[in-house]
Amino acid sequence: MRYDLTTGPIDPREMEAAVAHPAAGAICTFSGTVRDNSRGQSVTHLDYEAYAEMAVPQMRKIGDEIKQRWPGARVAMAHRTGHLEIGDVSVIVCVSAPHREEAFAACKWGIDTLKESVPIWKKEHASDGTFWIEGHDAKPTLG
Amino acid sequence: MAVAIAVRVRLFARLREQAGFEAERIEVAQGSTLADVYATLRRTHPALEPDRNAVRGALNQEFSDWDAIVAQGDEVAFIPPVSGGR
Repeated sequence: MRYDLTTGPIDPREMEAAVAHPAAGAICTFSGTVRDNSRGQSVTHLDYEAYAEMAVPQMRKIGDEIKQRWPGARVAMAHRTGHLEIGDVSVIVCVSAPHREEAFAACKWGIDTLKESVPIWKKEHASDGTFWIEGHDAKPTLG
Repeated sequence: MAVAIAVRVRLFARLREQAGFEAERIEVAQGSTLADVYATLRRTHPALEPDRNAVRGALNQEFSDWDAIVAQGDEVAFIPPVSGGR
């Protein structure tokens, strides 16, 4: 198991290596990448901010729950913070399991849960201004 | 204030910008809840989000209910909804 919060690039292949093992017949990797558009506007770059002391334990909780729900699964997660450019990988959830059905299901559950419960925020720099993205809302920044 | 205790408050993202600080030690009465701590902060930092439904509280790095009681030395964080996306 591996849970990273980092300002540097994250490498999907490295996360896959962390979950690979001889009894796993499937590795499913979700990579979230920075889009050049949002809300119909063009986006120039993003900044991610994390509550690091809470974010890593929250990721570990998700990984532990995946292992309970999908026996035999192994999990690695990473999220970047700081300045990200278009196309950069912002988040990775990687799950290995005996078969692909569990690997896909656990990986989807993992990224969906991470997005709801890991305290990391996205500041979007777009053509119409700078916004904090909070769920479905985009709220103007002050700074 | 009868007996005061001190907690360390941390704010993130939009709430941090509204209040103008990342971390601050504040004093509240013994027996105060997370809701009381937030109300105290709003008095000293009126720009802070007025709608508590748009805020989540965390006590010692765990999501927590507004009626949770804080203790001396606790870390209390107020955080906006996380990024989401689909």
